[in-house]
Amino acid sequence: MSERGRLAMLLAALLLLAPVAWQVALALPAFGFPTSAYGQTINALVPHMRRVSNMVAAVNFDVRGFDTIGEELMLLAATTGATVLLRGSRGENIGDRAARLPGRHLAGRADGTVLVCRAAAILLMLFGVYVVLHGTVTPGGGFQGGVIVASSLLLVYLGEGYPAWRRIARAPVLALVEGLGAFAFVVAAAVPLAWGRPALSNILPLGTWKDLFSGGTMVVVNAAVGFAVAGSFGLILGEFMEETRGPEDEDMPDEEHR
Amino acid sequence: MSWLVGAALLLAAISGAFVVLSRDPKRQVFALSANGTVLGVLFFVLQAPDVALSEIAVGTAVTPLLFLAAIAASKAGR
Repeated sequence: MSERGRLAMLLAALLLLAPVAWQVALALPAFGFPTSAYGQTINALVPHMRRVSNMVAAVNFDVRGFDTIGEELMLLAATTGATVLLRGSRGENIGDRAARLPGRHLAGRADGTVLVCRAAAILLMLFGVYVVLHGTVTPGGGFQGGVIVASSLLLVYLGEGYPAWRRIARAPVLALVEGLGAFAFVVAAAVPLAWGRPALSNILPLGTWKDLFSGGTMVVVNAAVGFAVAGSFGLILGEFMEETRGPEDEDMPDEEHR
Repeated sequence: MSWLVGAALLLAAISGAFVVLSRDPKRQVFALSANGTVLGVLFFVLQAPDVALSEIAVGTAVTPLLFLAAIAASKAGR
């Protein structure tokens, strides 16, 4: 299709959709004015029933916890599939130097980048752990904190270079962390079954409202999700980074250095 | 709808348009990252801080990096 034809089609689509989108935008709740009936019900019930103050965590890990097991196993399956696929086509003969077009110069790192990354990597990882730990109290939780921890590993690559990333973010360790997290989630769901109670029933002491370790089983499940997500995102990032590396035996001068 | 929600929606539309309109894949990745940040703000304004945190972590850091790695790998002929 010609450029003009596509532009005409875009204009027609915009004219048709804009009034609909406008109506939807007008119907959105204003900032600070919740309207959802489900949300109001959860807000009214959960603080007494589960003693947690983050309702999203309560919905994810307790009220609809069984759905989250499915999501968790989905993440596990997706990570495993991507890892197997990438490793299978890549082979084992991969070094830690960047693959690049012949004759292309690779710029080194500025000292400032290294310094900022060293400080920021530690701070970001601490923040990730904080977000996981406070999953049942404040917004955040295992998934969000896990991704933040995994992205703090990226700063190691940015600041220290690829060999350091390879030494720190070891794939077997990350895979183990991921697998054990998912396993702990399944165990937390299965243990109540032994007492003849529904899967994922809250069997641990609930603690006090607004307390760091409130929510009973939710604390365990939240931590399990944190480990699983940090492991799987770290693993996937590592697998994609390996794709940008060159073969080990190929003689390439001007190695990545700073 | 308050002006805050309207402004966030408008920003989301503008940053999304930048993603579609940029033709160079590398620039597109950074436009996508910016779009992720804006979506994070939008989710926060719509009272979903949990989703906003996920969107910011996944949409601005992880997804763009995967795209950058894929672009680098395809340019290096792998």
